[in-house]
Amino acid sequence: MKKIAFLNPPTLYVEISQGWLKALHENDGVELPLERLPGGRLTAPCKEKTVSALTHFLKAKSWQPRARAFCAVDSRGVSLRHLSLPTGTKEEFHRRLLLQIEGEFPLPPDELAWGYQPLGGPPPSNGTIAKQELLVAAVKKEVVADYHEILRACGTEPVFTLAALARRHLCVQPADSFMMLNIENSQSELTGFNNGVPTNSRIIFWGSENSPGSPDAKFDALVQAIKGCSSGTKLFFSGNKPSEDYTTSLATSLGSGWQFERLATADGAGRSAAISGIQKMVEQGGEPLLPICVKHANGVATSLATLDLKKWGARVGALVAALLLLPYAEALLLKPHLAKKVAAFKSEAARLTIIDRELDFLRALKSSQPPYLDALYIFSKSVPPGTHFDSLSLNSRGDVSLRCSFRDGQQVAEFRTKLIDSGFFANVTVEEQVPTPDHQRVNVRISAQEKPIAQLLALSVGPTADEMAKDGKQSPPGALLPGVASATPSAPPVSRKETK
Amino acid sequence: MRPLTDRENRIVRFAVAGIVIYLALFYGCKFFEKKRADYRQLVAEAQNLRQQIQPYQDKVLVVKKLMDEFHLDPVKLKKETVVSDASAAIQKAAKAGGLQLGPIRESPSHGSGKSLAAVQLESSGQVPAVLTFLASLNSIGFPVVVDSVQFTADNSRPGQVKMNLTIIILDFDQPKEAPHA
Repeated sequence: MKKIAFLNPPTLYVEISQGWLKALHENDGVELPLERLPGGRLTAPCKEKTVSALTHFLKAKSWQPRARAFCAVDSRGVSLRHLSLPTGTKEEFHRRLLLQIEGEFPLPPDELAWGYQPLGGPPPSNGTIAKQELLVAAVKKEVVADYHEILRACGTEPVFTLAALARRHLCVQPADSFMMLNIENSQSELTGFNNGVPTNSRIIFWGSENSPGSPDAKFDALVQAIKGCSSGTKLFFSGNKPSEDYTTSLATSLGSGWQFERLATADGAGRSAAISGIQKMVEQGGEPLLPICVKHANGVATSLATLDLKKWGARVGALVAALLLLPYAEALLLKPHLAKKVAAFKSEAARLTIIDRELDFLRALKSSQPPYLDALYIFSKSVPPGTHFDSLSLNSRGDVSLRCSFRDGQQVAEFRTKLIDSGFFANVTVEEQVPTPDHQRVNVRISAQEKPIAQLLALSVGPTADEMAKDGKQSPPGALLPGVASATPSAPPVSRKETK
Repeated sequence: MRPLTDRENRIVRFAVAGIVIYLALFYGCKFFEKKRADYRQLVAEAQNLRQQIQPYQDKVLVVKKLMDEFHLDPVKLKKETVVSDASAAIQKAAKAGGLQLGPIRESPSHGSGKSLAAVQLESSGQVPAVLTFLASLNSIGFPVVVDSVQFTADNSRPGQVKMNLTIIILDFDQPKEAPHA
């Protein structure tokens, strides 16, 4: 999955409060004002503006899947209930849960956006049914549905949770029971936790705009709310930079024995304690413990029911049709083009015979070249100094004959041995060897037969690189013809393979 | 004839539609199947042709190399003039190498058909010039093969050799077999 991680768009972090929406996307943040109707729902122009602004902010790519948007909502209108349900199959459990929600909350489940967090349960004793403890959070559906609609319209897949739960991820060492106070400009959100689970959450209309020192009924209400909350004596607070006066004033009002700890959050547009908390949770690979869903699937069986069968059926049908029709479409579309190419090739096929003929002829010409220069080179290398050549004949059938005079019979024998050792000749015959009348020289008539071409190809005849370099400085020994002892090396170097 | 009831009309309409669809599918499928079969046959033919061409890519390279080596393009040669042109080129190469030309005899080919003519050439010169001339005969631009060569000492001029050369001009329509192969 990591290999295709680049295909997934970056996560969007959102917090929605009464008057604003903050969003963070890849270190870029934005804060948008929200306008609400008296009932708490967003106005239509506000929705349009927010969708437009968020779409522009996200710059979602059409080829990418929807980005996940973790959205923290404040606890305005949110009810928390502890429920206990008998365990059973998934469908039974879901049905019982709906019944419990209907009984516990003032609105039916269909009109609620709700979610639950399993809390475990006591082990069943003999004769009792095992039970599952749950924490259920519910809010009026139309409120969250507005948020859901906006975030879907921006090309994201929203997941809602409570802001207080999100902020909890910022607590370094949370106690079992504690309180969290998030202070905004005009209101504060107080949430109590027992055994790490939120027990209550409420909005108090007293914020950082209010002066903490002045006698204020709302401040008193806040103090009373904190005191009345049986969630320990530790208070984590966050929000719009609460001043020292504020905490001092709060500490004074609450009395001794209270611990205060401020949650560390990053400053900047689109940042808040809740967003930082969700970000931290996602980076640690976590998921919201209490997701609030607008639509709920009815257990296992409904997972398929949520599919848009008509749409998917059309897609499958289109794919099957494409699979069946493509071979025929290929035949219809490509045949003219292919036929044209084949016809063009056939008309040009005559050129292939010309190529064949040319190749045969040139190969025959190359193999017809007799190796005269190679034979001359071997003679020049084999002949002893002082030899006098009268005539030398070579022909294309490989017959060689020469008449020459050597100093004595020993030289004749050496010359003959060298010719044989060269491997160039199949046989070397000294046809006649006659001493001159003064017995100073020996006149010789020699004939030889070159080996067949196939055997000569394996030989390496011709001057070596060292000999050629040496040739540039001095003439090698040996004489081809009378009076021209250094004749052959000055000839152009001809290798065996080139001449054959 | 009594008028058809609505039900009967509907049945007739459905029947006609069904028959039309059946015929369209039947003949349409046949038509498309035939087109596809033709196309597949054409594809197979194209693949065969491709296999046929593939060796020619190498052959063309070899032909080009040999043509460069011999400075020769057989297609451009004309049978009527090749003997005279080749003879002129041989004499030109000999003169350029500093050889003194003697008698030159041309004799047309008799019977074998593998050669167009034979040129007998007598010349004399320094040994390097003679050897250079022999080596240059490969690249005069005509299909010539030295059939025989005879060197004799020129006693009147020391350092020089007489050369008697028989050159065959090949018929480029009839490739010749390799010598003494």
